[in-house]
Amino acid sequence: MESYKVNTPEGTRDRFFAECEELRQIRGAMVGLFRQWGYREVITPALEYYDLFVKVGNPLPQEKLLKLSEHSGSILVLRPDCTTPVARVAATRLGDLPLPLRLYYDQTVFRAGAANAGKSFEIAQCGIELIGAAGLKADVEAVCMAVNVFKAVGARAFRIELGHSGFFLALASELGLGAEETERLRCCIAGKNLTLLAEQLKPCASPAANALMRMPWLFGGAEILGQAEALTKNKAALEALDYLRQIYCELDAAGLGRHISFDLGLVQDLDYYTGIIFRGYVEGAGGSVLAGGRYDGLSRSFGRELPSTGFAVYAEDLAACLKGGAFQDTEVVIYYESGCLSKALENLELLPEGSAELSHCATEAEALQSAREKGASSLLVVSKDGVREVRLNG
Amino acid sequence: MDKLRLAITKGRLLDSSIEMLERMGYDCSALKNPGRKLLLNMGGLDVVLAKAPDVVTCVELGACALGIAGKDTIMEHGGSFYEVLDLGFGRCRFALAAPRGSDFFKGYKTRRVASKYPKVARDYFLTKNMDVSIIKIEGSVELAPILGLADGIVDIVESGNTLKANGLAIVEEICPVSARLIVNAAALKLYKSEIVGFIDRCREVLK
Repeated sequence: MESYKVNTPEGTRDRFFAECEELRQIRGAMVGLFRQWGYREVITPALEYYDLFVKVGNPLPQEKLLKLSEHSGSILVLRPDCTTPVARVAATRLGDLPLPLRLYYDQTVFRAGAANAGKSFEIAQCGIELIGAAGLKADVEAVCMAVNVFKAVGARAFRIELGHSGFFLALASELGLGAEETERLRCCIAGKNLTLLAEQLKPCASPAANALMRMPWLFGGAEILGQAEALTKNKAALEALDYLRQIYCELDAAGLGRHISFDLGLVQDLDYYTGIIFRGYVEGAGGSVLAGGRYDGLSRSFGRELPSTGFAVYAEDLAACLKGGAFQDTEVVIYYESGCLSKALENLELLPEGSAELSHCATEAEALQSAREKGASSLLVVSKDGVREVRLNG
Repeated sequence: MDKLRLAITKGRLLDSSIEMLERMGYDCSALKNPGRKLLLNMGGLDVVLAKAPDVVTCVELGACALGIAGKDTIMEHGGSFYEVLDLGFGRCRFALAAPRGSDFFKGYKTRRVASKYPKVARDYFLTKNMDVSIIKIEGSVELAPILGLADGIVDIVESGNTLKANGLAIVEEICPVSARLIVNAAALKLYKSEIVGFIDRCREVLK
């Protein structure tokens, strides 16, 4: 079709100037932070085998994967997430490195979405994986770094929210429900659908059912943990709460307590997360812009037991919420006479980045005209005799 | 955020929504005579009037923190947001209906079903392991069986009078439907006290 020549496919778009700069800036700030903390970069292929993501219990449904077929007939996908490939690499090719591995990535993931929903299929993700590290200090490091991501990019109103898969699983197992019913309960709690949750729990009158009924509302500050403790005597559930409290205490002692909140109803992707789960919110974004947690089971699919934790930042969603600096317009045009290129470049490099450009006009008069059209405030004329500035008014 | 913004579905659910807001103490005179305005200021609350699927979109993308939408629209549209409260009004049900006297499930021919809600219809027949072909109809779905366009319809049914008048009868009820209060996920986390306060006051007046 004729329009295919000039338009980009659904879910993709071109990005210009200020948008690119802001994105580069926040990606740069995040990468700087990751490197500072001793993380090293991995770049994985954009194309991977379909099986990689499906066989490891990836929570993304198959219709979200963008598929291609290889010349030999195998099914490929454009990577829909980075954690799985990084876990693959860590368990196989990097198998002889001492643990823990600190890895970061800064690449695009691809997820098909509904048409006309205003969502991009190409998603810039920056994130870290702390692999082969179990226990409190590893989780504290991941959450602490998540807080620092927001600080590094200059976000003001932001929140990291913590949950724990163990709390829900302990209470649900007390009810003795089947896998399907447990999944239905989980969906009600994850979506804070109280009507349906009450219906599901009606036949099971017990302290655990009462606690589950309260779960969607167990979000907020550290006081939530106390409220939750009062609801149950289940040992595993209390352990999960105690673990969250320990993480909070460490972070609070580091002066980060005010950025931390809790949502015990955060029970997304429980086949995947095996411990703490966290999300990052920033003012101006309609959803979370950071997602992570502990996923000790993933590397098992690659033949190794590597307890791991990590998170990904949705860089563009985050960038859209930050008030970036205004795009730098061309302020100065530099016209140079033949033989004066190096002197012209010397002057160009002295000016603030992005504020000046060279003129290609043949004469000074033409250069003046074109500088006016650009809206520049002055024209520098570089000749063998020296440099002269012509001010352009209005 | 300066003020909470609530998206309300125009049409069937509007009157009951206004009644609820009035009982919560909001002055709804602007809402009763909106003229051509779509964004209305009601003291501590900004109200947006929108078509049902747009209410869901506004809340999902965070343009509005809160929304009132029918369960029918939520089921058809999907999306990620919190469905926190059954408001109890706008009650009706999803049902499969077919010409009176016909046996919809009899035989091996692939059935044709007309619906304004193709996703709801597809999901329903999936649970029955049935292979049907679904036709999306925008207006009066009841017309489809009369014209021989379909063997049955999936639609919301209130009194059942429209079905009766067009020679149709309910074959099976699919699920109950009513108005729901939905909330944007990030807004609930960042403005907990304001939003939980609003939800509590809704619940209070609905008792």
